[in-house]
Amino acid sequence: MRNLNFGYGISRPRAIDLDNNDLRKSNDIIAEMPELQACIGCGSCTASCTAGNLTDFNFRKLHTAVRRGEYKGAYEELNKCMLCGKCRLVCPRGINTRALIMLIKRKLGDF
Amino acid sequence: MTFDAPFTIPFTVGCFFLLVAIATKWIIWLVRLPRTDKRLIRRNILSLETLKGVWEVIRESLLHVRIFRVNPMLGFMHASLAFGWFLLILVGWIETIAYLGMEWVPLQGHVFFKYFMPVNGITEHISLFEQLMDALLLVVLIGVAMAWFKRLRSKFMGMRRTTKHVLFDRIALSALWFIFPTRLIAESMNAALYGGHGFLTGSIGGWMANTIPHETLVTLYDPSWWVYSSLLCLFFVALPFSRYMHIFTEIPLIFLRRWKLRPTAQRKSYDNFEVEACSRCGICIDPCQLQEDLGINDTQSVYFLRDRRYNMLSLKIANNCLMCGRCETKCPVGINLNTLRLNSRAKRRNIPHEGRYKYLQGLDRSSGNGKVGFFAGCMTSLTPGVQRSMKEIFDAAGDDVWYADSEGGVCCGRPLMLSGETDAARKMMEYNSDLFRKHGITTLVTSCPICLRVFKENYDLEGIEIVHHTEYIDRLIASGRLHVEGGNESYTYHDPCELGRGLGIYDEPRRVLAAVGRIIEPQHSRRDALCCGSSLANTVIDDGQQLRIAQRMTRELEATGCDVVVTACPLCNKAVNRASSRPAEDVAEVVAKKITK
Ligand code: SF4
Ligand code: SF4
Ligand code: SF4
Ligand code: SF4
Ligand code: SF4
Repeated sequence: MRNLNFGYGISRPRAIDLDNNDLRKSNDIIAEMPELQACIGCGSCTASCTAGNLTDFNFRKLHTAVRRGEYKGAYEELNKCMLCGKCRLVCPRGINTRALIMLIKRKLGDF
Repeated sequence: MTFDAPFTIPFTVGCFFLLVAIATKWIIWLVRLPRTDKRLIRRNILSLETLKGVWEVIRESLLHVRIFRVNPMLGFMHASLAFGWFLLILVGWIETIAYLGMEWVPLQGHVFFKYFMPVNGITEHISLFEQLMDALLLVVLIGVAMAWFKRLRSKFMGMRRTTKHVLFDRIALSALWFIFPTRLIAESMNAALYGGHGFLTGSIGGWMANTIPHETLVTLYDPSWWVYSSLLCLFFVALPFSRYMHIFTEIPLIFLRRWKLRPTAQRKSYDNFEVEACSRCGICIDPCQLQEDLGINDTQSVYFLRDRRYNMLSLKIANNCLMCGRCETKCPVGINLNTLRLNSRAKRRNIPHEGRYKYLQGLDRSSGNGKVGFFAGCMTSLTPGVQRSMKEIFDAAGDDVWYADSEGGVCCGRPLMLSGETDAARKMMEYNSDLFRKHGITTLVTSCPICLRVFKENYDLEGIEIVHHTEYIDRLIASGRLHVEGGNESYTYHDPCELGRGLGIYDEPRRVLAAVGRIIEPQHSRRDALCCGSSLANTVIDDGQQLRIAQRMTRELEATGCDVVVTACPLCNKAVNRASSRPAEDVAEVVAKKITK
């Protein structure tokens, strides 16, 4: 039974503690890019992602986590992105995802 | 003959300051040039190019031929100011010689000649000089009047918008406006008091002598020369820090360009010459769709160069540009606006960290086998119709094709470059180049103009011919390897920025379309074509703004009454599709439907 492969897995349960997370950077990001709040988490960005096609990089998961103050590893993970812009073209909410990527990197990175 | 008068001191000081300031700037910029640029100068300085440069300086810095071509009224204004003033100086200088023989005369003696040599009309040919000088003064004054008028009503000059200026510009501009009217007054007073002069200053002088009391004229005479001299001083002192620095920057720029120096994706000292050669004429404002469609008024090339020059360039202004190149084609100075915008984005630390893109190692998802390689690119993977059509076309032509990225590939690197991450982009370029070489292709076809551009300009793919899919289809049809049927459909073709203005490919897609139907040109086409607004180069405008640009463009394309709007760029395709009621098609899709046999 354990060896059955359905082609997808189940995420391990985890808790996001919004009270203890430091939301300053997240608030900064949302303040500069309020349209991010319109995200419906549809995952189109991840589905179309060039980098996601080649690695386990998951853009929707990443920007959702960052919004909730989970920054660990986000910068390094975002460095997998090639800025190709496919995610922007498919996003049903018209979110400027390329600018978002650059913004998150600017806020979390060292430049 | 002495040429000392206290009122000449401001002028002399101003002149000296100007000379030192310009020399300092030039020397600093030249010394800081990278070694490769210096080598280019050494190699080309003794060539025909230098002579051609001299001619170009006369044509552009004095006559402003290119401005004439873009906007005749504005050209006349610039030429009358620049060339008129230049002739005033030159003829004035000859006049002094005619008067005094080859005697040495200090600079202020030439400039204020009328003051020092008030008695005129000695011989015939000298009075001819008087008339000539007056005529030139009139020409310059007309130029000044036009400049005044342009401030008031830019429409009159064939421009919808004129430039907003910084403080030093205002000082220099105000001085410039009043220099020549003051000269007119001073010389006319001279005529009123001492007689002589040509048709202009002579007659105004005569009128003055009749209406203004003699004592008033005498008291006002010296002050009027003081004002003239001080205005010149003010202009000269403000010049190196104002837009008028372009007068003296365009000259070395013309030569450096002739010696094959160019701006690159990285900032370098050469950029100073291009940045300060901008006269802020404002010609680049009107073509910009960010201005016309979105009312954004602070990011056009003229403002971008201004901000960059005074070190107040914000990230937002640097990023808020489609790099469509519409302004660049119009710029009379020929500044490489796109490249300068690009290298303004280069981050201080764009060195990618060690592990970045490690996952590219050993990756190969290509399929097929053949000497011809097809690279769809990220964007084409979102327009599967184009990919399918290309496959049909290749099959019909009997080509064996290696598909580089049909199962998912790596981006070409241009999007990263456009965001200033040149070093990171290098990694993509190395990866893709290795991949192409490994599979031994000799021709690389791509259906995305963005990829095409970076392959051609930044990759080192010697031995591999790089073509756009429209070029390739054009060749297939011409060589008889692909048979298509003609028809009655009418097509309106949209020139993608990167393909048209970027790479100069206008005819091939049109030839292909002409083989299967009729072409109706839209209002703006070829070098003037509009941008779809979806350009990857702009990360500032939002979705709604992109859509507005696309709508205006699509409206224009559909206004031709064509059956189908055709593009040759997957990104344009998406943009038109969003804004239009019926689907746009790619050149490949149009052709695939018309294959016979
Ligand atoms: S821009 Fe980055 S996140 Fe978006 S699709 Fe491309 S690789 Fe993925
Ligand atoms: S495609 Fe847009 S709306 Fe969907 S998850 Fe990504 S960002 Fe959110
Ligand atoms: S960039 Fe060119 S067109 Fe624009 S203001 Fe400067 S000189 Fe004129
Ligand atoms: S390149 Fe295009 S978008 Fe950028 S300033 Fe010029 S006209 Fe405007
Ligand atoms: S998608 Fe096409 S029209 Fe739009 S910017 Fe790119 S090349 Fe220009």
